Amino acid sequence: MGQLRADGRVLHVDLQGETIRARTGSMVAYEGKVDFKSAGMGGGGGFRAALKQRVAGEGLSLMEVSGAGHVMLAEDGQYVTRVELNNETLTVEADSLLALTQGLQTDVKFIGLQNLSNGQGVATTVVSGSGEVALLSDGPMIALGVQGDEVFVDPQAYVASQGNLQMNLISGVSWRTFVGEGNGEAFTQRFTGQGVVFLQPAERGA
Amino acid sequence: MLQLDTTYTAATLPENDNVNPYAFSVALNGSWFISKGAMIAYYGRIDFEAVAAFASREAWVAAQFSSPIYVQDWVVANGQGKLLLADRGYDVNSYDIDAGNLTIKATNLLAFDAGLELKQSIVPGFVTLIGTGKFLASSNGPVIFKEPPFRADPEALLGWADCPAPSHHHDAAWMAANMMAAAQGMFGRVSGEERQFDFTGAGVILLQSSETTRSDPATLRLIESQAAVLPVQQKQTLAQRLAAEVQQSQQQNR
Repeated sequence: MGQLRADGRVLHVDLQGETIRARTGSMVAYEGKVDFKSAGMGGGGGFRAALKQRVAGEGLSLMEVSGAGHVMLAEDGQYVTRVELNNETLTVEADSLLALTQGLQTDVKFIGLQNLSNGQGVATTVVSGSGEVALLSDGPMIALGVQGDEVFVDPQAYVASQGNLQMNLISGVSWRTFVGEGNGEAFTQRFTGQGVVFLQPAERGA
Repeated sequence: MLQLDTTYTAATLPENDNVNPYAFSVALNGSWFISKGAMIAYYGRIDFEAVAAFASREAWVAAQFSSPIYVQDWVVANGQGKLLLADRGYDVNSYDIDAGNLTIKATNLLAFDAGLELKQSIVPGFVTLIGTGKFLASSNGPVIFKEPPFRADPEALLGWADCPAPSHHHDAAWMAANMMAAAQGMFGRVSGEERQFDFTGAGVILLQSSETTRSDPATLRLIESQAAVLPVQQKQTLAQRLAAEVQQSQQQNR
């Protein structure tokens, strides 16, 4: 059992002198002696991350939570999912990142114009190292494994991906048939390699 | 709860069952009709094609999908694999029809297998499924089942099975107050509860526990097709009334 414990729509954090980073303003309650302060430029990712975020519009705003005690974090009644990283990378939309423990680095990665169709940024946040991450999702998260096969995901339902995955965008002829009135999928994300794709049972912006 | 200890693969995803209350996994082996936007992910070899395009190759489609105004909102998923469907985080449930029929709000119908036939209901915004097969529907909150005689709020009404189509019921007090206005061709809404759907006979009525509905892109097409039967003079009257209404709401928004 780690420092982070997801319980439905709340994340419990047990601190014994460590520092974690959490989404700014996500604290709903705490006990003990705990300090909250802004993680600084680029959500603690440093000047380079801050600059890239500014350019990419990937808005990651984190605070540092340190001390000894128990903290509860939540955001808009979204479901919380805990993910463990063992010297791995996790790619996540900045809006879906709730908290991460020490030993993890955040950076911004440009991924091109692939998410243009749903107004998401042209960049995404990459978490790497070893530790625990808490993710937010609209509805309970669904994890889909990729082991040499492939999975296709609606960009509006995509939340995060973990492991050694390649992603490319499919806009084949059959996909164009989705375009039209209402919220049809103009593109789909295709993941291949080894890893896990996280998605929510709701479409952003729908 | 919700520690994420299940990572699904193509093999371990449920076969025609819920993944969680808000997502459903279809074990596709053949063809399903899917509402645009309902697909959130899939494994396998699945082709998606617009109903109209698919129908031009496969003659049976035109017979199964008998509703021109909804054709644009649907695609045919064809192939083998696991297909995950969801709708805005709403509850998703599957229902089986066995040589029967069920009428459902078009915006809440997510998918149905090719064993069922879709027809446009006489009640605007609703479609009827006939035959034997499985379909998926979403609801805002759990579905409530009721038996007639019963009066339902039109916004909360999800559908009905086996009983005759409902008639409109207007609150008596509202009717009395609006008789004169109605005679002049003007309708007002007071509490939002003065209009109900009245069910009689034997059957089942499905309700969702919320009155939030999604705007139905087919409504405009439906009204357009109905307005086509009006003589030119009445079309003009309708156009003037609509123009006046639009102007009024624009002024209010200013």
